[in-house]
Parts: sequence; C-alpha cells; structure tokens
Amino acid sequence: MNASVSLSVSSLRAHKRRLAGTFLAVFLGVAFLAGTLVMGDTLRAGFDTMFGNATRGTDAVVRSAEAITTPGESEGVREPVATDLVSTIDKVPGVAAAAPNIQGAGQLVGRNGDPIGGQGPPTLAGNWISDPELNAYQLAEGRIPQRSGEVVIDRGTAERGGLAIGDTTTLRTPDPVKVTIVGLATFGGEDGMAQVTFTGMTQADAEKYLTARPGEAAGIQVRAGPGVSQQELVDALTPVLPKGVEAITGQESAEENTDMISSQFLSVFTTFLLVFSGVALLVATFSIHNTFAIVVAQRTRENALLRALGASRRQVTASTLVEATAVAVTASVAGLAGGIGIAAGLQALFPAIGFPFPEGDLVISALSMALPLVVGIGVCLGSALLPAVRAGRTAPLAALRETAVDTSGASRLRAVTGLGLLALAVGVTVSGVLLSPSLWLAGTGAVLALVAFVVLGPVASTTAVRILGGPLDRLRGVTGALARRNALRSPKRTAATASALMIGVAVVSLFTVFGASLKATMDQTVSRSFAGDVAVSTPSFGAGGSGLSPRLADAVQRLPEVDTAVGLGRGVAEVDGKGRALTVTDPLALERTFDLGQIRGSLRDLGTDGIAITEKEAGKQNLTTGDRTRLTFTDGRTETFTVRAVYGQSELAGDYVITRDAWAPHRTQDADTLVAVSFKDGVSTDTGKAAVEKAAQRYGDPEVQTRDEYARSSAGGIDMMLTLVYALLALAVLIALLGIANTLTLAIHERTRELGLLRAVGQTRSQLRAMVRWESVLVAAFGTVGGLVLGGFLGWVLVKASDGASDSAFAFAMPPLQLAVVALVGLTAGALAGLRPARRAARLDVLRAIAME
Amino acid sequence: MTATSATSAMTTTPTAAGVVDAVKVYGSGDTGVRALDGVSVDFPVGRFTAIMGPSGSGKSTLMHCAAGLDTLTSGTAHIGDTELSSLDDRRLTLLRRERVGFVFQSFNLVPTLTVAENITLPLDLAGGKGDPEWIDALIDVVGLRDRLHHRPSELSGGQQQRVAVARAFAGRPDVVFADEPTGNLDSRSGGEVLGLLGRAVRQTARTVVMVTHDPVAAAHADEVVFLADGRLVDRMGSPTADKVLDRMKAFEVPS
Repeated sequence: MNASVSLSVSSLRAHKRRLAGTFLAVFLGVAFLAGTLVMGDTLRAGFDTMFGNATRGTDAVVRSAEAITTPGESEGVREPVATDLVSTIDKVPGVAAAAPNIQGAGQLVGRNGDPIGGQGPPTLAGNWISDPELNAYQLAEGRIPQRSGEVVIDRGTAERGGLAIGDTTTLRTPDPVKVTIVGLATFGGEDGMAQVTFTGMTQADAEKYLTARPGEAAGIQVRAGPGVSQQELVDALTPVLPKGVEAITGQESAEENTDMISSQFLSVFTTFLLVFSGVALLVATFSIHNTFAIVVAQRTRENALLRALGASRRQVTASTLVEATAVAVTASVAGLAGGIGIAAGLQALFPAIGFPFPEGDLVISALSMALPLVVGIGVCLGSALLPAVRAGRTAPLAALRETAVDTSGASRLRAVTGLGLLALAVGVTVSGVLLSPSLWLAGTGAVLALVAFVVLGPVASTTAVRILGGPLDRLRGVTGALARRNALRSPKRTAATASALMIGVAVVSLFTVFGASLKATMDQTVSRSFAGDVAVSTPSFGAGGSGLSPRLADAVQRLPEVDTAVGLGRGVAEVDGKGRALTVTDPLALERTFDLGQIRGSLRDLGTDGIAITEKEAGKQNLTTGDRTRLTFTDGRTETFTVRAVYGQSELAGDYVITRDAWAPHRTQDADTLVAVSFKDGVSTDTGKAAVEKAAQRYGDPEVQTRDEYARSSAGGIDMMLTLVYALLALAVLIALLGIANTLTLAIHERTRELGLLRAVGQTRSQLRAMVRWESVLVAAFGTVGGLVLGGFLGWVLVKASDGASDSAFAFAMPPLQLAVVALVGLTAGALAGLRPARRAARLDVLRAIAME
Repeated sequence: MTATSATSAMTTTPTAAGVVDAVKVYGSGDTGVRALDGVSVDFPVGRFTAIMGPSGSGKSTLMHCAAGLDTLTSGTAHIGDTELSSLDDRRLTLLRRERVGFVFQSFNLVPTLTVAENITLPLDLAGGKGDPEWIDALIDVVGLRDRLHHRPSELSGGQQQRVAVARAFAGRPDVVFADEPTGNLDSRSGGEVLGLLGRAVRQTARTVVMVTHDPVAAAHADEVVFLADGRLVDRMGSPTADKVLDRMKAFEVPS
C-alpha cells in the first residue's frame, strides 16, 4: 500500500468517532437529495402508468383546437364542442364507440358538512361515460347513474368525506345539487387520481349543471374498431370535423395530462425539495470543512513529525485527502441507499395517510444514482481541500513547538476585506432594489452579503461572543466565564461552526420575513381596495373548489340589510393576442364596494361592448378612454370593445372589467369567485353578517367573512407554505447542530488536560457539563443572531425586489414574535447540541487527563 | 521493619492527611500491578513532608490516593477526620476544592483565565469569596502583583508555578499536595517555588505533601518518607540534600 493511503487508513481507524459528524452531515444531505430525485421519478412514472391505464381504451380525443392561456396558468381554457358531433363521429368507418366528455367543477360536501378537497388539486365533476373502455374511471362498487341526481364518486373521495353508497349529499356546481351516491369508482387501478375528487353524473345532469349551454362537451372520446390504429382513427376523423375542432390520439392526450400534472405539481414539488437539499448541503459544507480544519490543526505535531522524517508536502496533503475521500465515498453511498429508503418509505406512507400516490416500483434512474454521489463526494472533498493543503504546508519545526493557539481569525486584512464586501453587497443590493429595480442585481447583492457574513464571521465572533456572553459571567459565575472564554478561544473555529447554523437560521428567517410580508401585503390590499363590509368566498386554494353561485349576489342584494352586493366572476379572453383574466361583474356595484382609486371615464355605461382597464395595463398597451381594443374569446369569436374607463387600483378587482351581459354569449360554467357586500347605514356588521350567512345557506353555505377575516384567510396558503418550508429546513438546522456538537467534541478532546485540572481543583461534574453546554449555547447564539440579521436583510431584499419587479405593491413586515421564536429555537438547539459533548466531557477520568502528555 | 517504629513515634501530633494499610492494584489477576502494597503514613499538621522514591515506587499513586484524586483498592485514606472511601465523586470534588490544594508538575493553569482568576479558581468554583486579605497577602508572598491581569501564556515557567502555589493556598486548605512542582524548572526558579512552599508551612502553619525525585527539593522539607516497590521503607527527619542522596543511592545497590 502507498504510504499516504496506509497513513490515512490507520488514522481513520484511530479516530472513527471524530469523523462521525462529517459522515452524518454528508449522509443526511445526500439522502435528502437522492430521496427527492428518486421520489420525483417514481411519482412521474406512476402517473404515466396511471394515465396510461385510465385512458387505454381511448384511441382519439376530439376537442377545440384553440386554447387561451392566461399568465400563471398551465392549462388553457378551450371552447366546448357540440355533443351532437357524436352522431357524426359514430358514422366514421373504424369508430367502435364515441362519447362526449362533459367536465366542470363540482365540489362534494362530506358527511360532516365540510366540503371535500379544494386545497390545491382540482375538484372535478362530469358525465359518467357508459362505455367502460372510454371512461377513465372504472366502476368498482354499486351501479352507474341512471336517473337525475344519481352519481358515482371515486373511492378516495368517498373515504375522505365519510360517504358510502346510498348516502345523499350536496354537490356544489357551484349551485348546490342534491345527489345520491349509487356507485364508487377507481382511477387507473387506484382509489382516485391523486387528490383530485371526481363526481360522475348522468349526461343530462352534467349538461344541465356543468355547462353554460346544454349540448356542449369539453371533448369527445373515441374508441377505434379492431385493427384500426390510433393514428388511422385520427386521420379518418379529421375530414368530418368542423372548423376549429381537432382530433388527437389517445396517447397524445395521456401525455398532455401527465405533462400537466408534471408541470403543475411534480416539477414544483421536486424543485422545491431540491432547493432545500441544496441548503442542507451548503450547511454541511461548513460543518465538514470545520471538522477537517480542526482535525488537521490537532494533528499539526504528527504531520510535522512526518515532514521532519522526510514525508513530502504532497504525501501529507494526500493522506488527509484520502481520509476525506474514504469518508465521502462511504457517507455518499450510505446516503444514496438512505435516500432510496426514504423514497420507498414515503411511497408506503402516503397511501397510509390518505394520499393515493400511484403504486409501482421505485424508479431509480442513472441520474438519481450519479448526482447525489457526485455532489456528496464533491462537497466533502471540496470542504477538505483547504485543510489538506494546510496540512501539507506544516513546517517540520512545528513538531517542536508547543501546540499553537489559533488567533489568526481576527486579522486586519480579513476585517477590511469583509467590510469591503459587505459595503459592496449593501451597495449593489440597494441599487438593485431601490434605484433601478433589478432582480439580478438584488440577487448578486444577496449572495455577496452571504459571503461577506462568512468572511466577517471570525472578526465578529470575538465581539459578538463577548457581548452575548456578558450576562453569563454574572448569572453563572466562573462556569459562565470559562464557557465564554472557551468560545472566544479560536475565533475562526467558532465562526465556522456558527456559520453553518447562521445559514440555516438565515434561510428560516428569510422565509419568515417574506411570509409575514406577503400577509401584510394581502392585508394592505384588502384594507386598501375592499370597501365593503363582508366578503363571501369559498375556502379554496389552487385549482380546487367550485366557486360561488352567480345567483348568490342577487339573493344577497335583496336582503333589507344590504346596500350593495356584487359578485365577481372570472372570464378569459385574448386582449391584443395575449391571454388575460377578465373580471365579469356589475361595474357600478363594483365601484361602490371596492376602492378603485382614481377613475377616468365612467364605469356607468360599459354595456356589452365597453371595457374598463387599470391604469397600468392601459399604459402598457397604450390605451386611453375612447380607444378601441379587440378581445378574442374561447369560442373563437373576436369582438371590438371600447375603453370606457381607466381606474387606478387593481389588486382585488383585476385588470380588465367587463359586464355580465358582454360575457354572457361567451360564458362557460358560471361561477363567481367572490361576492362583496356592503351594508346599509346603521346595520351592524354582526347583524348584516348573520343575514348574509342565512341567505348563503341555500347556495352551498359558503363562508361569510368580515374584512379582517377575509384578509386573514387570503393569507391562509402562506401559512401552509411556511409550515412545509420549516419542516424542510429542520434538516439543515439539524446538520448545523451536528456540526456544533462535533466541533465541541473535538475541542474537548484537545482540552483534556485543562478539563482534568479543573476537575482536580474542584470543578464538579455538573459544573463541567454546564460549562460545555453554555459554550455550545454561545456559539449557537452567535450563529442565530447572525442568521437573523442576514435573513432579515435578505427578506427585505426579496420583498423590495419583488415589489420592484412585479405589478402589485408589496408591503414589508418584520414579524417580531415569529423571529423571537426562531431565536429561541436556535438557542435551545444549541443547548441540545452541547448535551452529548458535555456528558462525554464529564465522564473524563481526572487522573488520566492530568497524566496525559 | 524500621518504618513501623518511625510511624508510631509521630502519632502524638494531629494529622492533616494520611493513609492506613493502603493497597492499590492496577489491572487484575496475574497481570495486576501492586502500585501500593500496604502503606500506612500520616502527614502531620503544620509539617512539610516530601515523598521520595525511585520511578515506579508508587509515590505518585500514594499522593493521588491521599488527595482524593484516585481510590484505593483496600485500606483507607483520610483528609483530617474525613474518610475518603465513603465519599462519592461529588463529595470528593467538593472536598478537593474546599480542603485540598494542588500544585502539578506542569499545565497547572487554565489558559483562558488571568493570573488573578487562576488564583481564585477553586473559590470561584465554590461560589465563595474566600478571605480577600489572605489572598492579597498571598499575591505579595508569591511576588506577582504586577502580573495579575496577564494570561498564563505570558508568564515564564517559574512564574506559572508560583501562581499555582498561590492558587493551592488561596482557600486555606488543610493540606497542599505538590506533584514534582519543580520538575520542569531551572534550579533558580525551582528554588523560589520550594522556598515559597517552605515559608507557607513555617509562617502560616499550613501542611504540604510533596512528591519529588530531586534530593535538593526534598531537602526543603521537614521530613522525607521513602517509598520503594509500593512499600514505605524509611523516614528521615531534618533532611539535607546529601543525606537524601545517600539514602537514595542505597536503593540502587541490590541488597
């Protein structure tokens, strides 16, 4: 064996414990990364199979060729096709069966009265296609709907809502429809299509409740006769189809569905997880670097002896690197196995908690094998490189010197460089945020700020620990003083240990600040532009929910307590060739319940050919009152509209407003997203709210909220996001704490003699434990404070940059309570990290410690 | 054995510390080493006793066991009236910081604490203030008033040992144990440290027990006890360097 290698091997064997922390850090980071990749691939493959199974019998799909896509939506809106096209298609040679597919939104109410789903995935309703080959859902129990009011629902939804065959419940379309469940269905062999809820009704019911005009369907599904391929079928169909209607193969349709799920949900989900495994690995980098730096420092004498005995620089450097490689490879391989295990565990866990992910074997692609390994080994070796080079530079004479105390951290050069970087970072950021808004500049500034913090760490640690530890001397006497000075011993080491935690805490506080700012923004939006007293909305988020009945606003308007009730519907159209969301409403009532800012022109006479636009959109398209613009609707028709009003604020009212009359010829399934209500003078909020609630009961009992409640519930999704983010960041914080524990363990090993002396002259075990714990808390406090400052700054940058880059005004908010909780968690975690090293230190044999040379 | 008669002659004065039938075995069975093999010795109050013997004679083990740093396999050790074998780790620690002082050969001081803080370390650990006048006087006796706010790394080896002596006496302990306190010093610095120990005993009626292999150091003591192969073999009152050296030479001659 080569000399460097055999040295490393014997060193590894002798100091297994020392590298355990490094092993764990790499292991956790790699496992997270590998788990994410494998789970992403597995889910994607699962959905592929599921859609494949579900639509195997569909050989072609006939639908409108054009789709209008508005910004922020992945799925376009298509015009429906006429159901009587089925009879034409049936006559085409090669067609075995054809059935219309009527689809809309329909949310079921569960046994307990709460609506099922609606928080993210769509809540679908449609006609139950009687040809089992063409239906994506298969009847599993009961029978198919035959009479009006009978429905089949997917088994997953039935279980979630506590519903069974024979139960009667309400389907919100959004008008409440009384339905009786006569059958349960499965989708591609699963209890449901992920979290999507499905209700299948008779074709007549579907046309009545789900479409604007009976006789229309989203598409027509066609099955080919024996010996006819999908492409042959499409070729045969195409000539008989009217203009603007196309036929695509079943396979293409399945692929589109998979892509949609992919882009809407899977990609976002996977990217999200990848970002957090990145953060975890970055934190791990600091911990690993620190471990190797300490190990090399402790081995100075040993390395110097080797150099004195004739080992070359390269041999000494190589022996450290070989050691790092050994740890890197074992930890990465273990991490890869762990990640696959995590993915397998999650696959088993999700169905158990009622999340029907598609079944199937784990998909482990070459990429998800290679990437975690490469990243894990790269991170570990990269972190060890500098310490290894330093090991090689050990002067042979160092063997004769007393072990030096490392005070190099707080050098003037470092302070100057760090401060320079910080000034540059602040300069770049501020100019990117305030002067000429640019996400790119702001991002560069943010990265620079992070680097500056890491560079300044050792300089700042001395002052920071002195200040943070100040109260310790008074509170804990000599134990506190010793803890504080131990933390001050090697500023570089303290800073590097704290840096890992700092990054974790910084990301946590960044999200906390950003989340709070988003909430404040919502709050500000509502209080600024919502002039009504209560808002009626369905508690939904994402693509789910069914909206509100368009008749609700009229019903509420008739109440004696109500001055104005206005329903806001949503439409889509292409304005100047770009897909845009339209607000469909009564413009006059809108003006009374929303603060639209300054209005040029008048909302009074929009009529069927008038449109109101926000100032911002008008400016972008160079439009002013009196100008004409062309709107293309989903039915393919283009109409000319005159701009009759330009208004200042848009946040809740939307950028384009047209009347219900103008929308009526082009409408799809009718639903309002919000009904805003203002009361007559002298009607208290409570009285008015009670009256509205009573009226709303008949329309599916949607939620009636006061202004404050409405603002708070608009921000509900943010809390969900934050919870997920916190859960994911827990891993990064855990790795940082492992780093602190590891550094402490190494430091204690270094200070064995000193600890023995302290015990000999009368330090009790509990005092010794407290001393180590407090040192850990101090290091954690330094990291936490640094992280809070950095995270707060980055949060501000993100909010301001978003403010500058997007249309809507962002409010900045610092949530003191949440940040205090973050600080407390950081400190508590520091105390926890110190527990094990403290216990080990306290077990020290006094005599052996004193006798150690 | 001559040692037995010598011991009985001393029992008239009160003892600050001592061991009776002390046996210490390291390891077990055939490989076991008897570091102490039935030693009984008292260290009288107000006396400076040196323990001498060749390497491996058990002199350090004797000191560690008498000071409560190590436990005996059999026999008893006591500080004043307190029997050490009945104490748990916590009580032993408290006893060490309240009633015992230590001076080790090297690495006596906590590097992160100043000279002043090192001197009062046992008192600070106990959470007490001690006797400020006594400590003040001690600082003058060891001659370190101008170094109080320095760190140990800024002191010479001799100065460091003087700080250790001051710390050992700071809490007015029943007994101070010194383990080769001059082992790492040149003869002049060593002389100063030994002078300090001697003066502390004679002027302030303290008790010092010192382990050494240096006859010159042992000559500063009131009495020297000789150990060989884990047994007490001789005692010598009013030692001089020459007498001690002669006695030591006798060990090396195979009998």
